[in-house]
Amino acid sequence: MNRILTVARMQFVNKYTFVWMPLIILVTTLVLSIIIFAMIPYGGAKYGGGSQAPIWYFFGLGIMSLSYTFPFSQALSITRREFFLGTMLAALATAVMLGVVFGVGGTIERATGGWGLNGYFFSLDWLWTAGPLGAGVFFAVVAMLLFVAGFWGATIYRRFGAIGLTIALSLVALAFVAVIWIVARLDAWVAVGEWLAGLGVMGLTCTLVLVTIALGVGSFLTLRRAIP
Amino acid sequence: MTVVEVTDLVKRYKDTAALDGVSLSLQENVIYGLLGRNGAGKTTLMSMLTAQNFPTSGGVRVFGENPYENARVLGRICFVRESQRYPDDARPSHAFRMASMFFPNWSQELADRLVADFRLPMKTRIKKLSRGQLSAVGVIIGLASRAELTFFDEPYLGLDAVARQIFYDRLLADYTEHPRTVVLSSHLIDEVADLIERVIVIDRGRILLDDETDAVRGRAATIVGDVDAVAAFTAGREVIHRESLGRVTSATVLGELDAADRAHLAASGLEVGSVSLQQLIVRLTQHEFEPVTEGARR
Amino acid sequence: MIDEGRALFVQIAESVEDSIVNGSLAEDSRAPSTNELAAFYRINPATAAKGVNMLVDKGVLVKRRGIGMFVAVGAREQLRAERRAAFAARFIQPLLAEARTLGLSPDDLAALVREQASTQNSATRNSEGDAR
Repeated sequence: MNRILTVARMQFVNKYTFVWMPLIILVTTLVLSIIIFAMIPYGGAKYGGGSQAPIWYFFGLGIMSLSYTFPFSQALSITRREFFLGTMLAALATAVMLGVVFGVGGTIERATGGWGLNGYFFSLDWLWTAGPLGAGVFFAVVAMLLFVAGFWGATIYRRFGAIGLTIALSLVALAFVAVIWIVARLDAWVAVGEWLAGLGVMGLTCTLVLVTIALGVGSFLTLRRAIP
Repeated sequence: MTVVEVTDLVKRYKDTAALDGVSLSLQENVIYGLLGRNGAGKTTLMSMLTAQNFPTSGGVRVFGENPYENARVLGRICFVRESQRYPDDARPSHAFRMASMFFPNWSQELADRLVADFRLPMKTRIKKLSRGQLSAVGVIIGLASRAELTFFDEPYLGLDAVARQIFYDRLLADYTEHPRTVVLSSHLIDEVADLIERVIVIDRGRILLDDETDAVRGRAATIVGDVDAVAAFTAGREVIHRESLGRVTSATVLGELDAADRAHLAASGLEVGSVSLQQLIVRLTQHEFEPVTEGARR
Repeated sequence: MIDEGRALFVQIAESVEDSIVNGSLAEDSRAPSTNELAAFYRINPATAAKGVNMLVDKGVLVKRRGIGMFVAVGAREQLRAERRAAFAARFIQPLLAEARTLGLSPDDLAALVREQASTQNSATRNSEGDAR
C-alpha cells in the first residue's frame, strides 16, 4: 500500500502535469468565455462549452501517464500493479480537485448571475438540479472516465501496436452501431429516452462510474503484459 | 550467494529467437560484463531479469523468486536502459526525486556529486538535453540507487571519453565502498575490461563465453610470420582469424601457449602478439571465419 | 602499461614485486592495500585482491591481523632469486633469437654485452649503491 501511495506522490513531483496544466486550462478558458460573453450583445442566458477543455485534457493526461511515466516507472522497478493503482489514485485526486473547482465556481457563477453577464460556464441547468455537490461529482467522474479511456488506449497501443489500437477503436464503434441497431430494431427509442431522462444527474453519474471501473479493469489487464 | 539464476531461457519473436536457450547464474557483489554485438540479445536478457519483458519459455529466478510483479524482488533492482524514457516535461531534478522515493539505498550525496561531475543542467527539461546529458541522467540514477542488483545497458552512449572515464571511476569507487552486483552491457570492451570481474559473451541469443576476465585474457594469441611456418605451428590448433599480406600471415589461435610453445615459436622465427579481450570477442563473434581446427579437412 | 593479453591480477602482482625488487617498497613496510591498488590502476578490487592473495601465497606479503598487508622480511632476496632463475628464459632466449636473425654469433653477442656494460659504467659515475 505504501508503494502505491508513493507512486501517487511521484506523479505530483512535477506539479505541472497533474496540477498546474488543468488549472491553467480551466482559468484560461473561463476568462476567454467571460470575455466572449461580454462581447455577445444578447441579454438572455448564454452557455459556453469551454468548461469541457480541462476535462478533455484528462484524456491526454491518461495517454501521457502511460506513454511517458510507465517506462520510467519500470526503470524504478515499480510493479505494473503499483503503477496502475498509484496513477489512478493521483488522477482521482486531480479529478476531485477539478470537481471541487467546478462546484465552487458554479456556485459563485450562479450567485453573481452568470458573472453579471448572464453567461454560464460551470453551471448547466440540467446538471445543477443535483446542486453544486452533484455537479462537482459529475465533473470529477467524467474527468476520471476520460483519463482511464486515454490510459487504456495508450496501453493497447503500447502492447498491440497501431493495428491493435485500430481494431480496438473499430470494435468500440461497432458496439455503438450494434446498440443503436438493436434499439432501432426493437423500436425502443422512446423507452430509452424515458430511461435516460429518469436517471437524473446522480443516476447518470453512477452509470459513468460503472463504465469507468470497467475501463479501469480493462486497462489493468492490458497493462499486466505490457512492455515499457 | 547466487542472486540470479537463469535456466534455458528462450525468447522468440515470430521466426527469430532473440534468446535461444540461455542459462547462467550471477553471484553476489560481482561486476559482470555482458558483451556482444548489437542485437545479440543483451537488452532482451536484462529485460527478462527485471520482468520488463517476458520469456517464451525457461526459468528466471532473481533473489530466489520470480521477478514478475514481485515488489519484494524488484525493489532491490535498478535497470536503466539506453534510450530510457522519462516523464514528459520532467527535469533531471524531478527524475532524481522520483528515483529517491523508490530505491531504499538511494544516496542523494552521491547523486549531487555526480551531477557536478557530469555538469548536468538540473533545470533543463530532459527532452531538451543532449544525448550525452541524457545518458548522464541514467548513469546517475543507476549509480546513486545503490541497488543490490544494478543493470547498466550501454549507459555511456553519447558520453565523451572524459565522461566515460568519470563513470568507470565512480562506479569502481562506489562499488568498493558499497559492494553490489553490477551487470554492465557494453560493446566498448577494452574500456571496461579492467572493471569487470567476469565476462559473459552473448551472440545470436546464445552464451558463447561465461568466465573470469583474467582467465579469458591469455586464452588467445596472434602468431605472425612466414605463411608456411605459421601453418606448421597452427596445425591441430583452433584458428579463429587469419590475415595475409604477401608471404606474411597473421593467425589468431585459441589456447594457452606454454613455455615449450614459446620456445618453438622463437626458434621458428615467429612473433607472438597478445590478443586483447576486445579483439578476442570480436574475432569470436565475427563469423567470417567459423572456428575450424586446422588440418581437420585433410 | 597494462598488457591486454595477460591476466590482470598477475600483472598487478608483478608490479608490486617490481617495486620490492628495486627497493622502492621496503621490506617490513606496509604494502599498498587492495583498494589502493584498485583505485590506482583503475581496476576491479576483486582483481587487485587476487593479485595480493597470490603474493601472500608466495610468501612475499604477509597479513598482520588488524593492521594490514606488509612486505615479508626476505621478500626481496626471494624475488631476486626467482627472477634470476627466470632470467634465461625471459631475456636470454629472445636475445639469442634476435641475434640469430641479425647474423650475430653467441661470441659476437658476448663482445657486445661487455662493450655496452663498460659504456654504461663510465656514463653513470654514481651507481645505484646496490652491492649485490
